[in-house]
Amino acid sequence: MNKKRILILAIAAAVLLAGASQVAFLLRYPYFRKYAVQNGISLREARKAWGHPDQLSEVAMGLTVEAALENWDAVAALAAEDRKSEIGTYYYNLANAHRGQLADRLLDYYQPFERGLFLPVGERSTPFQIACAGDVWFALGDMSMAERDAMLGMLFSPAHTGPRYLRRLAETNLVTGDYEAASKYLRILLNTPAERAWAQERLPDAWSPEYRARIGRKRALLPRLDVVHGMDQTQLILRILLHSNPDNRMALDYLLCYDLLTKDLDAFVADYDPDRTASHLYEEAMLIFLAAKGGMDGENFAHYHISERNFNRFNDFVRIYKRDGGSLQNLTEEFGKTYWYFYYFAKRNEN
Amino acid sequence: MRISRLIPFLLLLASVACARVDVRPSGVETDRTAPLYPDYRDVTVPVNIAPLNFYYTDPDGRRFETRFSAGGASRTFRGREVMWAPKAWKKLLAAAAGGDIRVESAYESPSGPVRFAWTLHVSEDPVDPYLTYRLIEPGFEVWDDLEIVERDLTSFATRPISDWRNTENKCMNCHVHTQGRGDLSLFYLRGQGGGAILNRGGALRKLNLRGPGMISSTVYGEIHPAGRFGVFSTNVIVPGMHPFGNRRMEVFDTASDLCVADFDANRMLTFPETAREDVFETFPVFSADGRSVYYCAATARQLPAQVEEMKYSLVRIPFDPETGTLGAPADTLWSGPAHDASVCHPKASPDGRWLLFTVAAYGTFPINHRECDLALMDLRTGELVDMDAVNADKSDTYHSWSSNSRWFVFASKRGDGMFGRPWFCHVSADGTLSKPFLLPQKDPHFYDSMLRSFNVPDLGDAPVGFDARQIGRVWREMPAESFE
Repeated sequence: MNKKRILILAIAAAVLLAGASQVAFLLRYPYFRKYAVQNGISLREARKAWGHPDQLSEVAMGLTVEAALENWDAVAALAAEDRKSEIGTYYYNLANAHRGQLADRLLDYYQPFERGLFLPVGERSTPFQIACAGDVWFALGDMSMAERDAMLGMLFSPAHTGPRYLRRLAETNLVTGDYEAASKYLRILLNTPAERAWAQERLPDAWSPEYRARIGRKRALLPRLDVVHGMDQTQLILRILLHSNPDNRMALDYLLCYDLLTKDLDAFVADYDPDRTASHLYEEAMLIFLAAKGGMDGENFAHYHISERNFNRFNDFVRIYKRDGGSLQNLTEEFGKTYWYFYYFAKRNEN
Repeated sequence: MRISRLIPFLLLLASVACARVDVRPSGVETDRTAPLYPDYRDVTVPVNIAPLNFYYTDPDGRRFETRFSAGGASRTFRGREVMWAPKAWKKLLAAAAGGDIRVESAYESPSGPVRFAWTLHVSEDPVDPYLTYRLIEPGFEVWDDLEIVERDLTSFATRPISDWRNTENKCMNCHVHTQGRGDLSLFYLRGQGGGAILNRGGALRKLNLRGPGMISSTVYGEIHPAGRFGVFSTNVIVPGMHPFGNRRMEVFDTASDLCVADFDANRMLTFPETAREDVFETFPVFSADGRSVYYCAATARQLPAQVEEMKYSLVRIPFDPETGTLGAPADTLWSGPAHDASVCHPKASPDGRWLLFTVAAYGTFPINHRECDLALMDLRTGELVDMDAVNADKSDTYHSWSSNSRWFVFASKRGDGMFGRPWFCHVSADGTLSKPFLLPQKDPHFYDSMLRSFNVPDLGDAPVGFDARQIGRVWREMPAESFE
């Protein structure tokens, strides 16, 4: 075998090896590639921007990729693979909220207080958190906040653009009826070959009945009250949504769960109307409140739909709590997923 | 089949894949309503402007033809995009100076041939040839990769005069010239290592413009034409959001005062008249002769609850250019409460004839106020000039004068409503205002994909004598001078 042939074979082997390595990478980290596509960058650029993925980041990227496509079953399945991250909880909660199970399943999972409901957007936030933060606002119907977070996500993304953000910006403006702003983003997407079909379906004169219905559903959630609020006044924002549309069940559950995860029971009682939503979580919270305020009577139990079973369980919890001097040791197994346990034992990690 | 036979087919495929697509949904508003973009039909342009490249917006049109003629010379373009060679453009402008360029447009649309004629008016008044602006994504309260750019308006050349690369991604606020002078300007670098960067004759200084008792460091302001003093506002700025009506972000002050900086003595001067807690004062600038200060003032309210009741008036107060003292009393030139409106950003023309300012429904941050328009006051009479030809249905604000007082530039969000872009307007000797035109770009599709705003466009008669690397050194190595 002459030297030239050896060289050709060596190059071919190297190319094959590189190709195989790339295929193995893509098989192992499919969401890394999809998230890169949503950010409008190549795999190489993605590695440069975000480093080499691991299973944790792959799950996190999978959650946000599937959430952007509104594949909530896939989000729920991926959340089960997550290991106590704010992003994992955020999407776990969002997926449950889409199924009307936010409150019922809230404490089945790791809850880093309110940061699992609304990702903080501030100086200490990561670009990835910011990129994900608007998904909940879009679902709840606050297009101002959804647009802001899409803008910020795009601002901190590697290419300062990307279909993920442009799609959201187009849709928030289609929902609010600002077609002039929407057309800015749709034009860019129309001129991106992989996005052309998506954008064409959203041109306002090309809406299908299904898409028109989707926009109609989103518009029904829009705030109709203009109160200037701070970026972090989450409860106020949710109350504005509810004032505009009392049937916005998702906003109601997010507000009540926010009250409970911040241990603001006074706010919870003020916001809670047992005839508009129900959950064992809310019953548990009401029992703490009524016990503290001296309202443990049949009239209140009837009004707040508190079951006898929950009442008895609460008494068991209190009895063991008092017996053990406030220790959680004998409460974790039976009560670890109750609001009583969260209220008395959950502590903020300030780091 | 030979590969060469496939080439025409592949080229056709590629051209279909790469063909630009535009948004023209029938019966629905879009940000492109004119048959060409930028819409240069019947605008007035300065004799020294860069080529006005544009494209036709009809996605279904074909066989486009555009014929320009002036002073016996003519030039014809074929194709959707019209892009000039700089020499040919300059020649045409020179031939048409003080007159008109006639343009005939023609193309075929599915509904038949389309023909229309239009005019470019070429003013002999040149515009200041340099424009500085901050490029920023409309990111509400945060930033990334900021830069302040200087554009040569006679060509398409740009250069950064301060950027994130040289300052470790620091926030920087907008660069303003005094009376269009490239040798007298100021901007801020915020955060650690920052300060107000003062450019006097190309010599740079970094200043910590915060004296004892001031509610904040200086924010808005301007350098006096003589260069020794600067007048500034100090503001406690709070951002908020509107949940309703596409009004997006609202920014308001919960306190604001005026102060004067003496750059020679490193002193901050404050005055009882402009430091009242019950009145907010902001956006101070000097009159053309440097003997007055114009600013905006409003009665304090409970905020944010009463933000829509914040109606700032346009006020003038005497200024002593020898001592740097603000006198009294303040004189109200235009009352916000009387007009149920709010004034922002007064700017005096260098010849002293005009005062250009912004009028919004309320508040002090008009860039997200769609109703916000420019207003022009004739300082000889106090009357406002009709500006219907200039204003649009989106925010028009952040204006600056050319040093010859014949042109001003302003940032407008007309079109998509999100991204501010620089527009230029001619002011004739009798106060007639022309239809404004958008800053031309080499690529006529430039603005289609641009996702950053041109913030605070400001005209200069000469390039500033520094660049981004020098600013990087100033940021890293120069200590900020303190003021007492």
